[in-house]
Amino acid sequence: METDAAFADMKLAPLDRATLEHEFDRLLAENGPGVARLAASFTNTASDRDDLLQEIAMAVWRALPGFRGDCSARTFLYRIAHNRAIAFLARHRGRFAAAGGEIDAPDPAPDPESGLARAQSAERLRRAVHRLPMLYRQVITLTLEGLGYSEIAEVLGISETNVGARLSRARQLLRESLENRK
Amino acid sequence: MNWDTELDQWRGAWQSESAVPADLRRRVARQARFLRIMLAGDILVTVVIGGGTLLLAARQPRPEMLVLAAATWLFVAIAWAFRLTVNRGLWTTPALDTAAYVDLLVRHARAKIAATVFGACLFAAEIAFCLVWIYRETSPGRPLARWLLFSSPFIDLVWVGSALFLGFLIWYRRRQRAELIWLLQFLQE
Repeated sequence: METDAAFADMKLAPLDRATLEHEFDRLLAENGPGVARLAASFTNTASDRDDLLQEIAMAVWRALPGFRGDCSARTFLYRIAHNRAIAFLARHRGRFAAAGGEIDAPDPAPDPESGLARAQSAERLRRAVHRLPMLYRQVITLTLEGLGYSEIAEVLGISETNVGARLSRARQLLRESLENRK
Repeated sequence: MNWDTELDQWRGAWQSESAVPADLRRRVARQARFLRIMLAGDILVTVVIGGGTLLLAARQPRPEMLVLAAATWLFVAIAWAFRLTVNRGLWTTPALDTAAYVDLLVRHARAKIAATVFGACLFAAEIAFCLVWIYRETSPGRPLARWLLFSSPFIDLVWVGSALFLGFLIWYRRRQRAELIWLLQFLQE
């Protein structure tokens, strides 16, 4: 990946502000949608998601000068995003606990003839992911974003074997959840 | 279903951009801006009109001024009570999906339609009070009916302004009803 090559160069010399801004913009531009989906999977409302995204962006900006390229740029970004999301949940645990950790809007029934059917299918998946226990939600969201076992292991700070075990259980729970809501 | 096919399907759905159509996202963002502007307007009116009448009553503590200040604050309180009631739950979507976005926009449209009726009633009450107050202050001896009709350019301006405002409310209400119909049709498509 182009970003990773750029970050590899960062080890050689301290970054000036312009380079830092450029790399920051590129990192978020390449991974923005994925990070937004990750933030959405941890929050219940658009305003909470936006707050969390802002916190993630600020944390990335602060951490970027210290990044030494010892992992991929994407892993670096998702690790920060994930840590900020956990901190965000801990800080607002009263609100999320009260909501049962679930999105509280009605679940729209799928209609094959509806123009919304595809969107509703994606929404059902998002809801099902949102209902998973945190342990499994972490692994499945990163997997759905396309991260490999080793990257997920680095982001979460667990072994690859553990990632595999959690992912297997997460998929089983997700499948059951989707079938129950059909 | 094959293990990896299933995961690929989930991944495709997860990463799809179609969860909330861009047009709906833009409309919700526009409504949030509208709410902020209306709130700022309400605060400005409360401070300027409410504060102004209080200042007048403090400088000229006559019964008429006290009545004017009290009536102004009564109207302001009624307007705020309506605004806070009708705006409840309109600031953000309860969830990040199409159904929640459409539902929020439907509630926005219904709130605006209700606001046009409320606005017309409150405006009529305010105009009635103000005209009676001005009449008693400026021309208590003249016949009220004659005073109300073409007695001065100011009164003419009040009627023209009122007609324009009511015309705007009727146009706005029609526009919001069209928006509501569009949203309900969007849900049924």
